[in-house]
Amino acid sequence: MPDWRANVREQLGALRLEPAEAEEILDELAGHLEECYDALLARGVPEEEAFARACEQAGSWKKLRRGVTSAKREGIMQKRVKQFWMPALVTLLAGWGLLTLLILSGVQPVMWYLGDPPTPIYLIFYWPWLVLLPLIGAAGGYMSRKARASGWRVYLVGSFPALAMACVFLVILPWSLVVDAHVVRDFAWLGLTAMTFSWVILPGIALCIGVVLEGLRKAKAA
Amino acid sequence: MIRTELKRGTAELAVLSVLEEGSLHGYEIGRRIEEQSGGALRYTLAALYPLLYRMEHRGWLRGEWETGSSGKRRRCYRLLPKGRKMLKPMRAEWEDLFRALRRLAKVRHA
Repeated sequence: MPDWRANVREQLGALRLEPAEAEEILDELAGHLEECYDALLARGVPEEEAFARACEQAGSWKKLRRGVTSAKREGIMQKRVKQFWMPALVTLLAGWGLLTLLILSGVQPVMWYLGDPPTPIYLIFYWPWLVLLPLIGAAGGYMSRKARASGWRVYLVGSFPALAMACVFLVILPWSLVVDAHVVRDFAWLGLTAMTFSWVILPGIALCIGVVLEGLRKAKAA
Repeated sequence: MIRTELKRGTAELAVLSVLEEGSLHGYEIGRRIEEQSGGALRYTLAALYPLLYRMEHRGWLRGEWETGSSGKRRRCYRLLPKGRKMLKPMRAEWEDLFRALRRLAKVRHA
């Protein structure tokens, strides 16, 4: 009895995919060839001929490797878009769109004065926005989980507006330090911390609360 | 024997049609297509599996590992509602093509 798995592995070579996925593909293709071989034997075809005819079923091994790899990779890309990028974009637009609407409708932030070194430093809270953010986090978590995402990916999606703001800070701050002499002169760690807390940490926590609550709701429903 | 270039476009309809009858594993899909087309349509693994994986990603099929009565693990493909919905327009498209060919090239029995 030929070892179809070993044969397929040898012919296909290393598939550039996740190891578990590559193993599943090997199992499936080997199973197909084995069934074909068994069917030929059952029809009275001699072993050697049955083996050769079953191998013919594969077609071009090179084409098979290329086709399987590209089909699976295409799937991975589609999955990433559905599980991550689409819900993350929706969460981002909803989060910052909501803040824009609140500002345009005249909602004033609560500002806590922290100190004066060398320019005034405040913690800024848009409470209505922070209260509504868990809903947006929950929506992001729901969309991501619906596309069968799990674990840290769901939390990244849910807290994406806060992460995007963190990225903006990471880009803008070094750039400002380089190009603007005032920023260098007036730079204060306390200010940076206050800004990060107001626009990244607090909104991030609010969004993650939404993701957690949505997860609990789903677990309860299941 | 039908040339590969001609067969290429038929594979989606062929796979969806045999899966309409129930869930099947890869070998059985290939065998039924060959049997039901009177041996005219025969797909190699290189043609069949990339197509199955693509159709799965599009949400037309779902493949799940099952253990048969012989104890062998096989990946069975089941037609999903989205795939079933594709069948009707796909069949209509092929009928249009055959009608056009009949008019154009006097192809009979198409």
